[in-house]
Amino acid sequence: MHYEIEINGRLRQVTVHRVDGQFVVTLDGREWNVDAARVDSQTWSLLIGGEVPPTPSSSDTPDLKVGPTYGGSAGVETPIASYEVTLTPDGSSGGLIARVGDTPMAVAVNSRRRWGRKDEGPQSGSGGPERLVAPMPGKIVRVLVKTGEAVRARQPVVVIEAMKMENELRASADGTVAEMHVRDGQSVDAGSLLAVIHR
Amino acid sequence: MKKILIANRGEIAVRVIRACREMGISTVAVFSECDRAALHVRLADEAYAIGPSAPRESYLRIDRIVEAARRSGADAVHPGYGFLAENRDFAAAVADAGLTFIGPSPRAIELMGSKTAARAAASGAGVPVVPGTATPLAPDADDAEVARVADTIGYPLLVKAVAGGGGKGMRTVTEPADLANAVRAARSEAGSAFGDASVYIERRLTRPRHVEVQLLGDRQGTVLPFVERECSIQRRHQKVVEETPSLAVSPALRSAMTSAAAAVARAVGYTNAGTIEFLLDESGRFYFLEMNTRLQVEHPITEMVTGIDLVRWQIRIARGEALDLDPARVLQPSGHAIECRIYAEDPDRNFLPSPGRVLQLRPPSGPGIRDDSGATAGLDVPIYYDPMISKLVAWAEDRPAAIARMRRALSEYLVTGIKTTVPFFTWLLAQSDFLAGRFDTTYLDEVLKSRNGQPFVHPAPAAEDVAAIAAAIGTVFSPAASAASVAAENGDSQAGSNWKSQGRAEGLRQM
Repeated sequence: MHYEIEINGRLRQVTVHRVDGQFVVTLDGREWNVDAARVDSQTWSLLIGGEVPPTPSSSDTPDLKVGPTYGGSAGVETPIASYEVTLTPDGSSGGLIARVGDTPMAVAVNSRRRWGRKDEGPQSGSGGPERLVAPMPGKIVRVLVKTGEAVRARQPVVVIEAMKMENELRASADGTVAEMHVRDGQSVDAGSLLAVIHR
Repeated sequence: MKKILIANRGEIAVRVIRACREMGISTVAVFSECDRAALHVRLADEAYAIGPSAPRESYLRIDRIVEAARRSGADAVHPGYGFLAENRDFAAAVADAGLTFIGPSPRAIELMGSKTAARAAASGAGVPVVPGTATPLAPDADDAEVARVADTIGYPLLVKAVAGGGGKGMRTVTEPADLANAVRAARSEAGSAFGDASVYIERRLTRPRHVEVQLLGDRQGTVLPFVERECSIQRRHQKVVEETPSLAVSPALRSAMTSAAAAVARAVGYTNAGTIEFLLDESGRFYFLEMNTRLQVEHPITEMVTGIDLVRWQIRIARGEALDLDPARVLQPSGHAIECRIYAEDPDRNFLPSPGRVLQLRPPSGPGIRDDSGATAGLDVPIYYDPMISKLVAWAEDRPAAIARMRRALSEYLVTGIKTTVPFFTWLLAQSDFLAGRFDTTYLDEVLKSRNGQPFVHPAPAAEDVAAIAAAIGTVFSPAASAASVAAENGDSQAGSNWKSQGRAEGLRQM
């Protein structure tokens, strides 16, 4: 089976073959032996041997998990690294969230879409109008800009009260307010279009 | 006291139920519509519906809660924190119904609930207060009048709700030009959060630490202060990390602060659990900030370093028992404890709330770890309430070991379906200023601002490799995922639709 898998905007070529109850996975030309055990409908335990990737880590936080070591003394076999991975649908981006250790990542399988950027959220991206939508149900406390008004990147556009806090929703880039769909005091559902900003 | 009604929800309701069960006391839960299947309902011996999900229709309805207590035959009510915990009328209504309120007297709640009256009480007890207005701003004060009052206090200043708490209804003002808007915003937030829009003005100290003293007071007049809690790690005036003891408090300062806290409590005849909050300036001077007339969110760290169950003592004091704890024991911490408040918020979208269904939840455990939670997999984090899902507490023999333990616990915390602040804490607990204890209440907001939205979650290439392998193998097992992707390729490009079909396919699939 061959898959195109997009992770954080980067397209990866993956093939999977079953061999003796395990998997041989080729990822962008490199091959691994993978023993996959399904824990529940969303959780996998993967034991990855062969050309093992190093232990995942965020770049500004030191590793907690002590990863396998390589090229050790003679006679030491190739280590088998253990990973727990969860795959859950992500309602906000319309993709999957794969979580490896404590690191969640956006994943799409066999999608022809080319996101070309890391954050597919409705408030981000380059080019085209920005559609500012309500991230959660709530009440519009204040509309801070008017149609036709110029806004700067990170300038607050509306204040929405939800879960007992007032939250500022900001423009992601410099632009002009083309449409304003809400007024002070209005209740909105999650995903409601609040404003459109032309960049 | 045989049966206690817990007038709250979420993790604190669960916390109180646990103490009751350990004491052989039966428990009564109350719940709003969206909390029908919540953990506190499932753990309680009895449970009563008190109305729709909006707090004003349920958890803030004194009449319905007192009626549930009457129906259930409860003889006491524990208010938890938040909701009606610091509502004088609620405490009085419980007493009027012939029940015991597990907390201070209505008079003490009323007095200390007014920030301006509490400041006067502290001054009267000889404890310094932060300079500010002695009375609330007049409700009809115009901008010029407010500006004149502010000038007498000096900038930078804070506009604070008289009935405030939890950072709501509070605004910092550094420029006179921003004052009028800040007062309006604080009034608006205070009005909707507390039903009281009055505000006052207080000088903002430069770089203060927030250090607080837990107290217990019995009905015989004994007031016992506990070792301090350091709560300076705050985002938008809300505590997110607390620890005890504070690196900034020497034994001599501890003695002075705890004595001052006890003096304020004695001056108002305080009973049950309460907390005196202080600001500590760079030169080691401390100022009374406010008193919280209830159990605090962060009470577990005090329990971890003293071995005292504060909720158990709340109940014992309420039924008239005398405090017989050794005062020295509760002032001398054994080891170090840290709490992280785990919120259903997306730290990579400016901490926007991330309500929704928790698909999986596996909290950490093991040596020195305590997770006080009201969440379970399969339940929604409701949009109506504070989105805190758990309080993760780590204890160890010293601060570095407690931090290491907390980092280990964070790495084990598995939550899917919603975004949480776990990645933010993983980052924070690796910062050199945090590790060295070099922080004050302005630290977190400033460091977050300087990061300028840089994501907390940025996976290493190796993690991406593992995710790619897992996604491919997952797709082998779940053809539905490919089917959904084909639909997307065939021009069904509406955002989210492929995952709706994926969700439907997943729902039908049996493995």
